[in-house]
Amino acid sequence: MTTKKIKTVWVWTAMIALALSIPLTALAAGIGKEGRIVNKKGKANTIAELVAMYDSSSCIECHQEIHDDWALSVHSRSIYGTGRTAATFRTSVVNGLQEWAFSGVKGPKDVQVEHLMGCAKCHLPQLADANDSVAKELIASIYNWMDAVRAGNDKVRIVEENKLKSLNINCLVCHNRNAITHKWTDGYPQKGVVYGSTDGEHPSDAFPTMKKSAIMGESILCGQCHGLGPNLELDNPTQCATLYGSYLWSYTAEGGRETCQECHMRKSGLGHNMQSYRDPGLAEAALDFKVQTSGFHWRDASNIRPYVAVDISMTNKAGHVIPDG
Amino acid sequence: MPIPQQFARGDRMGRGPYEKSGLISETSLHPGKTKKEHFEIFYPEGLTDLDVTVKLWYLPYGTMASDPFLWREVNKSVSISKEGK
Repeated sequence: MTTKKIKTVWVWTAMIALALSIPLTALAAGIGKEGRIVNKKGKANTIAELVAMYDSSSCIECHQEIHDDWALSVHSRSIYGTGRTAATFRTSVVNGLQEWAFSGVKGPKDVQVEHLMGCAKCHLPQLADANDSVAKELIASIYNWMDAVRAGNDKVRIVEENKLKSLNINCLVCHNRNAITHKWTDGYPQKGVVYGSTDGEHPSDAFPTMKKSAIMGESILCGQCHGLGPNLELDNPTQCATLYGSYLWSYTAEGGRETCQECHMRKSGLGHNMQSYRDPGLAEAALDFKVQTSGFHWRDASNIRPYVAVDISMTNKAGHVIPDG
Repeated sequence: MPIPQQFARGDRMGRGPYEKSGLISETSLHPGKTKKEHFEIFYPEGLTDLDVTVKLWYLPYGTMASDPFLWREVNKSVSISKEGK
């Protein structure tokens, strides 16, 4: 066969493959994915790009009070947390990924987005909309921050701390990206739309449309992260929060009917400052705690000793197991 | 507390969320359910009045050394009769 003929064969093979791939792409599961924020903006290559992709700072102009409430919650610093969350990311690399023979991670520079999704599924779900360079930058930032803390280097610590705190569960995560769980039923969340409790126009250049989310007031919205238990869809399953599992199988199964939002937002009066046991009102409401004591003389043959019996009764009044997350 | 099982196998507790995939043991408080605890304490020698303090702690990391949270505290004074045989 001559060189020209070989080329011809390859060209035809490539064209046939291309022709086959077009209908395959068109038939990819789900309609409307191309309207999502990540599809419109493209995957982020840096932390700054990821923050910009889900920038909700323009919400503050009209929703200052809600923003201020949210800023008090750990949703506003879901990667940094109390510092312990960020440190656990590092632990998961050192004591997890680097120790596992088949993870492909020998050091922090090998970390990819997929490696972090066990944590980021909830702590930063939008990381799925970033390239691996963001995963590497995130881990490098956590390492730099921890090294700076240990070395007492406040200048570096503050820079890295601010970078880590720029990553969070903000307005657009709940009111856009994660506002629809059943995307084949309700459609994919679209760029420029704020999902909430009503349909209509939204006076914002960046988000000109409001649409009703079928789950904004339902527990499943929160259950996406405050989850069911082991995330078996991952190549190496993790288990962090099991709260939605206990809500379904211990609370609703026994007749409970309140939603996460009813207790943690409305009844508590906390709104978007969603808290758990660290809020005195929720800590009080969650548990009925009774103590009964009775003293008497204990007689052991001829030996008499004063004795007290302490009976403690604890009833969980929350809609989920305590403790959980 | 839920005692997580390392990689959902065997008898070892998982260290962090990245290792947890099962349960070895579970002592959490479940919704709507009542748990009871009973303690028996002898008075110190010579005393007939005793102050009892019951504290319920939440230990997110399993020890008092790391971020303990005092959830409830109840104080009781317990006296017993000083006469009789």
